[in-house]
Amino acid sequence: MAIYTRGGFALPETSLASKTGTWRLQRPIHRHSSAPCHTACPAGEDPQAYLAQVAEGRWREAWETLVAANPLPAITGRVCDHPCESGCNRGQYDEAIAIHNVERFLGDQAIREGWAYPVTPPSVNAHRVAVVGAGPAGLSAAYHLCRLGYQVTLLDMLPEAGGTLRTALPPYRLPREVLAQETQRLLAIGIEFLAHHALGRDVSLDELCADYGAVFLAPGRQQGREWSVDGRVPADLHTGLRLLQEWVAVGTIPKVKSAAIVGGGNSAVDLARVLRKTGAEVHVITHDALPKLGVPPEGAMKAIPREVKQAQEEGVMFHEHRGIQRLLLRGERVVGVEMVHMKKLPRPDGSIGIVPFEGTETVLHVEQIIPAIGQVVLAAGMERILEGSPFFAVDLWGHVANHPGVFAGGDARKGSRGTVSGAVGDGRRAALAIDGYLKGVATVEHHTEAIPLESLNLNYFEHEPRAEEPLLAVEQRSGDAEVAGGLVEPQVMAESLRCFSCGMCLACDNCWTLCPDQSVLKIKELASDGSHYVFDYDYCKGCGLCARECPSGYIVMEDELLFAGRY
Amino acid sequence: MSDLAGTLIPIVDLRRNQPRFRGLEAGHLACLGCGQALAARLVTEAAGPDVVVANATGCLEVFTTAWPQSAWRVPWLHSLFENAAAVASGMEAALKAQGKSAKVLAFGGDGGTFDIGFQALSGMLERGHNVLYVCFDNEAYMNTGVQRSSSTPHAAMTTTSPPGKARMGKRHLKKDIISIIAAHNIPYAATASVAYPSDIRKKVRRALEIDGPAFINIHSPCPLGWGHDGSLSIEVARLAVECGLFPVVELERGALTGTMPLRAPRPVTDYLKPQQRFAHLFQNDPRAREELEHLQALADYNIETYGLRGERPDPLDSAGADTVRRGGVRWA
Repeated sequence: MAIYTRGGFALPETSLASKTGTWRLQRPIHRHSSAPCHTACPAGEDPQAYLAQVAEGRWREAWETLVAANPLPAITGRVCDHPCESGCNRGQYDEAIAIHNVERFLGDQAIREGWAYPVTPPSVNAHRVAVVGAGPAGLSAAYHLCRLGYQVTLLDMLPEAGGTLRTALPPYRLPREVLAQETQRLLAIGIEFLAHHALGRDVSLDELCADYGAVFLAPGRQQGREWSVDGRVPADLHTGLRLLQEWVAVGTIPKVKSAAIVGGGNSAVDLARVLRKTGAEVHVITHDALPKLGVPPEGAMKAIPREVKQAQEEGVMFHEHRGIQRLLLRGERVVGVEMVHMKKLPRPDGSIGIVPFEGTETVLHVEQIIPAIGQVVLAAGMERILEGSPFFAVDLWGHVANHPGVFAGGDARKGSRGTVSGAVGDGRRAALAIDGYLKGVATVEHHTEAIPLESLNLNYFEHEPRAEEPLLAVEQRSGDAEVAGGLVEPQVMAESLRCFSCGMCLACDNCWTLCPDQSVLKIKELASDGSHYVFDYDYCKGCGLCARECPSGYIVMEDELLFAGRY
Repeated sequence: MSDLAGTLIPIVDLRRNQPRFRGLEAGHLACLGCGQALAARLVTEAAGPDVVVANATGCLEVFTTAWPQSAWRVPWLHSLFENAAAVASGMEAALKAQGKSAKVLAFGGDGGTFDIGFQALSGMLERGHNVLYVCFDNEAYMNTGVQRSSSTPHAAMTTTSPPGKARMGKRHLKKDIISIIAAHNIPYAATASVAYPSDIRKKVRRALEIDGPAFINIHSPCPLGWGHDGSLSIEVARLAVECGLFPVVELERGALTGTMPLRAPRPVTDYLKPQQRFAHLFQNDPRAREELEHLQALADYNIETYGLRGERPDPLDSAGADTVRRGGVRWA
């Protein structure tokens, strides 16, 4: 009520009667956009989400967020090539967040603290699903099926779970203790694990299809590719994978003075480092480029760049853009190879070919030549599905065409990049697809674009160096000791605080502080899920200042007409 | 009720329970993205609740107190354009006589401070009243329709300094008010920018701790008068600091005691370009080029005079002072 005096007079905050929100043409809203680390992760992790929880000291919740996508963080934190960090927006500003170290820390902490996986045991009446192969894809599928309420039987021909992680990954990259603990903890959620069960020997695919609601095949790639140079093969030829598996299993490797390994993948680099430990002179020959800045991923070696770097530190010699043109044989014994410069180039018909350049031949004197050029699926027991092809042709969800109820993924899938995180993602998606199949509903993909750096307001961030984990000194790298040392808790916390929180509320108070109209209200002191503030649309005039100044791109302006009738 | 984030707290209660003092409430009639409304909110937040305010005529007075309403939650008095400092002096003397300890603030725009209320302000400083005078500097008479003031920067267009055949915007220079104020030998005089809220709060608290007259000039963009979108107010204010045209400094007893160093000085064109009031400087005209060079020289002069160029990155320099963190630590 107006009070008339000689002067103007008004009671405090009576302006609240003026609903200035009616002026608005645009309104600010909170919109969660995917962070690039999330869209880049083949396993489907959302690092932004768990980094936010780490930043608030909620370690266990952070781990639970992480294992909602990937049940093997202590493993992937060590062996993944972390595309999340290549995608990280912060990488374009100073240095990417050390996400793999945060992942590894959380995985190790869960093992140390004995945190149980957030899974309720399936009921006895639940559908039964069989998973063949207890590598990362099989383990991931089994875990996600369990989470979805299915009874899972996991078969593997080996005595223990782990697949390639166990048979071909050297312990200096993945300590056996970590592998054993994480896989045992995972199996303990209620997965029935049948060791020594080989498909085609102990059980047939038809039996599985009859006894189970669905079958997921993740046998990996166990069969070395055929290799020769102009049809000639040395007498003592062993494939790289076979040698590596032998070394991992029994710890021995044929001793040679010098060896050349052909191939640019992780097996080639792992084997090179193992041979180097025996004192051999080791050459890696690849027609791809060494991974470095400016080399597109499709033109670079498939091996993880940091492993290549460590191998170089240890004295492995790399010959990039080279191929072998001729074997120098004395009888059937190798005495050297003739290398030639090669490059992947487009052919006139548009396809990509590897072109050798005449006049660039050089001779490398080596005692042994080892092909590590990849493997194919061992068809035993799955012949009727493979139909002679080296890999499974499946869609994004792992459906094997013309075989309803049969799904496949992991390395055995055509087009697999052969990474652990890719296998974990295959397992997760197949679990969702199997769930859809058994319920009779289609599985749909929620594809989201990552929020670009341009949508963030970088004025509000400061340059801060990334925490680097300690590496074992080269002269100490002779045994099985792990090379990468990981980060300690304060460093992990510091990394989480470096996160830009792309597309999600940073809870930084910027909008609350900068609103000229007191129309951003804080509803809690701490939140990592975007529920920190609300807009008071009674007074918000829609100036857009909050959206413009939001550091993380979580506030966007929407045309008010879209809300007509809702206001 | 708030319809977002699933909260069921009535929004009125939410507003009452904000973890900060609300000196200037919502429902005021400032334009979209008003720099002055934000600056006044930040100042009263840092100073309140134990304050009384004398306000000169100007936008702030008009948009906060459209009779019979008031957006203020502190005792607040408006008298005339020219006498905010005199009224504040009287308030301070009266409170002193009654033995009360409320702090006295005086608010004015650049018109009420640089021009019309200048002699009252000078008197207040000379008599040593324990008052913090805050000038919200939006560089023209915005309330009456964007007429040039003595604070309007050189070459800016206003309705009374239009660019044309004779001139490229305002002929004269922006008055160096902070030096004039500091020349009164008062204990504390400072400049601040609305782009750096924590710097504003720190300076308000510092000024109120000091016994005696204090003065803060806060650069506050006016989207309407400067001709930029309301969403750009902070961006434009930040650029003014980063290019050196608006130096952020502290002077105690006339001596320079603090500056906000510039980590990487920006060219003045970065600041001028988003603003319609400088649009004529980007025409293909040799006079426009000359004025751009003139403004750059003025910025360089400021950087040199106050030694604004930072030697190394500093958490409190122009790039570091607005850093945010999860949990809002920077606003402490």
